[in-house]
Amino acid sequence: MKATVVDGLEIGTTLPSLTVRFTRERLVRYAGASTDFNPIHYSEHFARQVGLPGVIAHGMLTMGTALRVVTNWVGDPSRVIAYAVRFNRPVVVPDDPDGVEVEFNASVSAIVGSLVTISIEATSNGQRVLGAARAEVDLGVRVPHRDHET
Amino acid sequence: MAITEAHAGRRYPPCDPYQVSAAKIAEFATSLGDDNPRYRGESPMAPPTFAAVISALGWNQLFSDPELELSLERIVHGDQRFTFLRPLHAGDIVIATATINKVRMRSGSELISATVDIASRDGEPICTAQATFAHARKAAA
Repeated sequence: MKATVVDGLEIGTTLPSLTVRFTRERLVRYAGASTDFNPIHYSEHFARQVGLPGVIAHGMLTMGTALRVVTNWVGDPSRVIAYAVRFNRPVVVPDDPDGVEVEFNASVSAIVGSLVTISIEATSNGQRVLGAARAEVDLGVRVPHRDHET
Repeated sequence: MAITEAHAGRRYPPCDPYQVSAAKIAEFATSLGDDNPRYRGESPMAPPTFAAVISALGWNQLFSDPELELSLERIVHGDQRFTFLRPLHAGDIVIATATINKVRMRSGSELISATVDIASRDGEPICTAQATFAHARKAAA
């Protein structure tokens, strides 16, 4: 279990960020693990046929990776009680060893009792790829917080 | 006929029971590059978005429904929301049930909102997955 995160928590508190590389290998792994075999995630042919600029990452790969910022921070993933994202822009993954970099930043956007909302930003090639990405975590204890309403 | 607004409310039969395994959890966590120790060992919990693996059973019913005439490669995920009542653990046997909530016809595409309810075999709700998918319509021949 990671360190307690309650003390000193307030709206705007930032979480440690995360930068990952999505490569074609990662997409193949995620396809198998998730059972999402949509060919736009591995075949240039199908991706271009439906008007995409190239093979794109599974939205759920981006969503799942983004949540690592929250679960790394909170330690116990069972604290996550809700998680929502919009897939704003596709993450195009080139067919080369470097793939594409995706950076995840997160901060506390609401605190109500023991419930803390974390807003996450995901950026790739300078563009926000997720919108309205929010995870709600229940820390199980009331958060001492100066904006907290009692 | 293809998908229309009239398909809103369509509820699919419950999927076959799915048993969550430690091996699948580890495979999934590895595919996310996530080395959290809670996802490893003999009795791990699943990463929260593992719910997508089970939701996919319901999504696939919808995607392969012949009446809707959808093509998998024309579908992109628009948004996703999970509500977790409790985490999934290795050994859980769960059942996914998919419902089409709403269909919106746009120029060139259909927006399909669907819910997958994940419950235990006893009917205990575990997770709700709400998704919107955009399906790009084939150009008229």
